[in-house]
Formats: sequence, C-alpha cells, structure tokens
Amino acid sequence: MLFLNEMRPVKVMEALKNHVESYIKNGGKVKSAKQDILLSEIKNIVGAEWATNDEAITITYSHDLSPISDPKIPDYMVMPDSKEEIAALVKLFKKNNVTYTIRGNGQNLLGFAVNEGVIIDLNRMKTIEFDEKNWLVKAGPGVAAFDLQKKARERGYRINASEPAALICANIMCSGIMSTFSTTYGINADNFIDAEFVDKNGAFFNLNDSFSPNLYSYKNLQHKNSPGICVSASIKLHPVTDDESGILVPFQTLDMALDFIRDCAVRHIGLAMGIVGAEYISTFLSPTKKTASEIKNIFIDKLEIPFLVVVIGDKYAIRTIGEMGFPYFDQRLFKALYPGLPSLKSAQWLELIKRLSDDEPYSYLRIDNFAELLETALSPSPELYSQEIEPELRSFFEKLFSGNEITDLVWLNMYRIMSTRLGRKKPFLPVLIYLPIDNVLINELNDKFRLIADKYNIENDFGFITPIDNGKRCILEYDYFYDYNNPEEVGRVRLAGTEAYIMVDDYSVKTGTVKGHPYVLYQGFCRKENLLYS
Amino acid sequence: MTLTGATGFLGSHLMVSLLKDGFRIIVLGRSKKEETLQNRIFRLLLWFGIKDSADQLEFVETDFLKPMLGLSAEDYKRLCTSTEQIIHCASDTSFTERKRDIVFKSNVKSLESILEFAKNANADYFHYISTAYVAGANVTVCKECISSPTDFLNIYEESKASAEKIIAAFCKENSLPFTIIRPSIVYGDSRTGRSLRFIALYFPIQSVTYIRDIYLNDIKNNNGKKSEKFGIYLDEEDYLFLPLRIYLPKAGALNIIPVDYFVNATVRIITNATPGGIYHLTNNFHTKLEDIAEYNERLMKIKGVEIIYGRPADNILRNPVEELFDRFIEPYRQYLSDSRVFERVNTDLATDNLYPPEFTYDIFKNCMEYAISVNWGDAI
Repeated sequence: MLFLNEMRPVKVMEALKNHVESYIKNGGKVKSAKQDILLSEIKNIVGAEWATNDEAITITYSHDLSPISDPKIPDYMVMPDSKEEIAALVKLFKKNNVTYTIRGNGQNLLGFAVNEGVIIDLNRMKTIEFDEKNWLVKAGPGVAAFDLQKKARERGYRINASEPAALICANIMCSGIMSTFSTTYGINADNFIDAEFVDKNGAFFNLNDSFSPNLYSYKNLQHKNSPGICVSASIKLHPVTDDESGILVPFQTLDMALDFIRDCAVRHIGLAMGIVGAEYISTFLSPTKKTASEIKNIFIDKLEIPFLVVVIGDKYAIRTIGEMGFPYFDQRLFKALYPGLPSLKSAQWLELIKRLSDDEPYSYLRIDNFAELLETALSPSPELYSQEIEPELRSFFEKLFSGNEITDLVWLNMYRIMSTRLGRKKPFLPVLIYLPIDNVLINELNDKFRLIADKYNIENDFGFITPIDNGKRCILEYDYFYDYNNPEEVGRVRLAGTEAYIMVDDYSVKTGTVKGHPYVLYQGFCRKENLLYS
Repeated sequence: MTLTGATGFLGSHLMVSLLKDGFRIIVLGRSKKEETLQNRIFRLLLWFGIKDSADQLEFVETDFLKPMLGLSAEDYKRLCTSTEQIIHCASDTSFTERKRDIVFKSNVKSLESILEFAKNANADYFHYISTAYVAGANVTVCKECISSPTDFLNIYEESKASAEKIIAAFCKENSLPFTIIRPSIVYGDSRTGRSLRFIALYFPIQSVTYIRDIYLNDIKNNNGKKSEKFGIYLDEEDYLFLPLRIYLPKAGALNIIPVDYFVNATVRIITNATPGGIYHLTNNFHTKLEDIAEYNERLMKIKGVEIIYGRPADNILRNPVEELFDRFIEPYRQYLSDSRVFERVNTDLATDNLYPPEFTYDIFKNCMEYAISVNWGDAI
C-alpha cells in the first residue's frame, strides 16, 4: 500500500481504534450482532469463527474500487476452508433461496464483488500443490497471483500472473489472466490445464470431465451467468532461462511502437512485451504522486519519449532487437534511471540529450559507456529516491530500493508490479479491448476514448497495448481516472465508461474483429481462439 | 523594408538595426504556440531594450508554403503595394538528414510563393540571407558566385545552395534586382556578448560545461567514485582535469563572425548593393579549436582538453566523456577544422572595408558569460 499510493492504512486503523475506545468510554452503546437460524447453519458448516453477520465486519465487504457498483452491505460473510464446505454452503443457500456472491480480493473491475445476501470470502483456501512432471501447479481459490508466482519461482518456473493481489482462480473466472507475458504465454485457456468447480446445486465438476459444461466456448454476451464457483485451478508452469533481462525501447509515436511490437510478435522475438505511455511509466517511476506529472513532462518534452515498449527476453531476443536497429534502455540503464529519477528534474544536461536526438532519435543510447555517464549524472541511490518522500515513509523506500528486485524489469513484469502504481493518483476505470494491431484502428479508437473522456471532463490517458497470439491481435487498455470520493465525478466516469463500451460495440459490429472486455466476464476459461476470432 | 525570419537569430538583430536606422518594416511570419507574430516580435524587442517602435512596424501573418503567402487577395494586394525591398532571412538551420523534407520545404519550396510575391510587388530588391558554406566541402577558395557542388556537409548547406540557384534564375528571368549575403558561423555581439540564440559555437562549450558540472557533482557529493575511474579529478587550483581528446580530420580553423558585424555589414550591403551581387560575410582571422579550448580552460576552469588531428586508432579506449562529446560534435567536426578561403571582393567594396574582429579571449568570455547568465537561452 505504501509503495502503491503512499497511503497508510495502519494510521487509519489506529484512528478507528481510538474512535471506538473513546465512543465506549463516553458511554456509547455497542450494537450486538443478532444470531439467526441461517447464521447458525452456516456456522455449522464452516465453524463459528468463520461466519458472521456483525455489521462491523460485513460493512468492510460493502464496497470496492469499481466506480460501477454502489455500496451494499451484505447480510452475512462466510469464509469456507474447503470445496466441501463451499458445496454445503451452496446447497444451504439454494434451499433457503439466499443470494450469495463470491469475493476474491474485492477488486472486480465491474463491481460484481459487492452484493447483499451472503458474501463468500475465499481467502482461507490457499493450498498450492506442484505437479512438476506435468508442468502445473494447482492453486486454491484464496491464492494470490504474487504468492503463486513466488512459489513457482522458488522452484525455477514461472506462471502467467495477473496483478499481484488478484486471486488466481477469481482472475480466471472473471476475464482470464493477462499480462505482458501473454505475448508468449497467451490468455484465457492458454494459462491452465484444468479447474475444479462447485456448481449451483452444490455438485462438483472438473473442466476436463466429459459431462462438464463447455467453458472453453465463448459467447458474445455481456454478464453471462457464472458457471459455478472455481475451487481450484491447475495453472501452467513455464520454463525460465538464466539469461533473461528486460529493456525499454523508446518511440516517438504510437505508430512506430505498434510497428515494432507487431514485428517482434510475428517473429517470436521476446517473451513479454507491452507498449506503455508516458503517464504509465512516470506514474510507476516517480517517488511521489506529486512528482509524477513533472516526470511525465520530462519524458515527453525533454527525452521525447511519449511511448516505451517494455520487452522481456533472453539474450538472443535482446541482441536481435539491437540488431533490428532500435536503441534501448537496458537493465543497467534502468537501474540508474529509476532510483536516480529525482536528479532528472534539475538536470540541465538533458538539453544535450535532446540535441543528440535531433540527429537520430535516442542516439545517445548507442554511445559506448552511456550507462557510466548516466550513473554519474543521476547518482542513483535509495536515499536519493527517498528524499522527496515524507520522512516517516523514507526508511521503507530506502529498504525497498536497497534490494535488486524493484529495479529488475523481469521481476517487475513477472509479478506485474509495473501496472500497480497506475492508480496511485486516482483510481481508474480501464476500458479494455481485444483487437488487431491495426495502427489506423488503434489511433482512431484512442482518439474516440479521449473525446468521450473529455466530454465528461474525466482525466484520461492511454494505458498499454500487449500483442497476443503471434501479433495477430493485441489487448488495448485506455484509462479513465476519477476521484473515488467525489460522487459527481464517479457518476461522470460511469457515463464515460458506458459510452466508451457502446462505441466499442459499434466498432465490433463494423470491423468484426474488435471485442470489448465486459463480454469476457465469467468467460475467462474460454479458448482465446473462440474469444478473438469468433 | 519587408522582412522574413524576424523572430530568428539573424533576422531579429537585423530588424532592430533597421528600426534604429529609421526604416519602416513589414514583418512577415507566423504565430507560434498560440503567440501571435506581433507578440513574438514585441517580446523580442523588449530583450533588445526597444519599447517605442510600434509605429515603424507592421505585422502580416503569412504561410510561405501557400500561394499568395496564404493571404486573401485583398491583403496580398495591399502587401504588394506597400513592399519596396525584401530581406528574406527565414530559414530552417537543421543539419540532420532526418529532417530533409522539412528543411527543403522551409528553405526551398517556400521560395515559390516568396519569389512570386517579390515579382508581384515589383520589389526594388530581393536580399537573400544564405550561408558561406554553399560551395561544397572540398573547394579551396569559395568564390562570390553561384556554383553547383554536390559535396555538401549537410542538408542545410544543400538546401541553401539550391535556394540560391532558384533565386538567381528567377530574379534574372523577371529582371528583379537581388543580392545574396553569405555569413559564416555567427555568434553573439562582440561588444556585449549578448545573443538571442546559442547554437553552433556555443554547443561544444555548453556541452563541456554540463559534463564538467556532472563530474564536479560526483566529486563533491559522491567522493568522486565515478570520476576517479576515468582519471577525472579536481586539481589544487580547483581546475577540473577532464581528459577529453577531440579528434579532427585535419588542421584548420573555424570561421566565425559576431552578430554585430553581420548586421552592420548587411545594412551596408543593402545600402550599396549591386544587382546580382554575392557577398561573403566571413572572417579573415581564423579561429583554431586549440584557441577555443584554451579560452575554455581559463573561463570554465577545465583542463585536459586535447585536440588531435587524424582518426583515433582502433585500439584507443575512449572514456564516456569522449564518447559523448564525439557524438555531439560530429555534425560540426568539419567546420572546426575548415581550411576553405572565402573571397570577399564584393563584400569589401560594398562594406567599405568593414571587417569582423578576431575572436579573442575577451570576446569569448563576454559571450559565454552572457550565455551562462541566461542559462543558454532558457532564461530569455
């Protein structure tokens, strides 16, 4: 949380605790949770301490970061520990005609983790079982992507993982796993071998059972019904070589970046790839929210880098990109740039860099020993990076930047850390679509996304583009930022998001190749071919 | 007088001189970044300390790539009627091949509409500000005539040579009197050091200054960890020893003139012009890079700069500063060791033997101190 947005939840917790103590001290009454028959039956299944209707707890399940959902306080919250308990709960709820909603970590982009009735929180189900001979790892529904990736890395493998806090099963259920590694590892059904479900009657089925519903199919429907509760998924393990590294390839236009990723994807160059904009990279790199816009201007005006392509690859891939004639920031330059970023703000020598680029864009990156110069000029250090951060947070950041991971592009992409800071200034509604890497179409859509946001006076920016399926398609994200505490702005972002997806629908009909992300909801298990080409 | 390029380095200095001489000037140009042409010029005039010249100036927003300069028939006709002499100073000075199309549009294509305007205005004279470097890289003596070389050092030279030929042919065909004025490399005012632009001569000095500051910071704040690795240190006299070997292809010198000389000579040429006259505004005092390095050592307190003639041997290891500087001066390398001689017969006649000064340490000091005081133009 500190790294993502400089928020300090512990402070809020302390304040809340003090408030409650003071309330009680001053004779305030404490409302006790009422016991009822349903709660007793739920407790009989999961144990007394794992279910409640106490509003002090249920209220914490009443909201998420989606601007689409209104807060709703559930009547009950239950935390099962096994698929058998889930099956029993489903039967109980069916018998009593009780609405229930599954919740992973509560970050459903479309607001479907908030509901009345019962919330089934799966966070206790964290089993991880490796089957290395079959290149898979079976993960329970409470396992977060970060934890699973960490375990996989300890054994020398890698999985295709979503946002670090996302629960892996929930992520597949909702829309499928996607990351920059989707360039080679794929999306949706490419990422798993099997999965286990509890259906609406409380019965079990496996994806590979011959009688199971065909979850590999795809229907172009919004809000398709959930096939059941995913209680485990067998995720593919991928091999890792010891010569992998990351680079950032700068581009002056989105068109140039698109041509590059298409070329690389078609030729199978690189493992992971994504185009990011100046907003994305500056938000990630900047020590504070406040400095992010200043750094963004430096990237655009001084360095003339409105777009960067992140590439992870082995030594052969990186060498090939060099041979293709593209200058890039390699891992050593990135290690200088990231913790040395504060020095950029006052760097007069950026003028030289700009002038060298006049002759050939980014030609300074071709200078032998440029890394030496950059390291000297930026003097990167954990202390430098932390100097602008509020004093009480500095030790955290100094410790973070003393390690290697935070400046390792492979690590940052593998755990999908780079995208985590995008909402640090404001939460955002991502408009996600699948489409061909067609420069004209992408520029047209970006313009329209921007116009819609401007119409509703919503801060907006290009998010990212990742090529998939050998460069035949890509995933495009355009982001609408909003103030979560401003209901009027939340209202506007809802309208903007709705209009954006209506526009995408029009393009879907017109082109036959564009797909809006909401259609994938609850179809995350589908074959990518059914999603992309049907 | 109708003037183009008045917002540029040479054009602005020329405009001010003409205003001081009492000329009425019609400025042709464009607004930029939502700032009107008029506001751009008034902002420049403030820098020159001129506040009360509004009644001598008229501003016409034009587009040289459009017929009739992008004006309505009525405005165009009025402009033609008011125009007597034209000084065409507007130019794109980029060297890079990457900008070939832009440079050629700016410096050559635009002539179609500008020359047509000169003809329609029945102008008394068309004065073209060109460059001394239109004769090609391999010529020994650059004559005051139109030539047709092919060995240009960059796209700028090529476009200016092309423009000269078009102007000469058009003016001859339409009996339009013209002059071509060819300055060499222009720096700031030799008396005050003031300048509006800090390109050419200033670039290498600015680069060395920035590089010096990077290593001074390393020495002062990081115990010189990086500096030490490449033999960079602060000596007992507080001079930074910065090993910087600059390789030049051959012995030669830099031909530079101050902007005050450019202005005075141009005004004299315009006053005493001969139709079809070509004039070299060049310096008979050649400035060697060794001289500039020595000036730089004194002023910026940097030692270790070494000028070497020839190519570096393949086995010579370059330090990061050398790698950067090398890349940086590449477009200028030939100008730094130039051995071309410029004929000045027409110029000496028209300017009554007015000569640019020798580039001394005092001039260097004035110019660079001014450049630093305005942060190389950022503070203007």
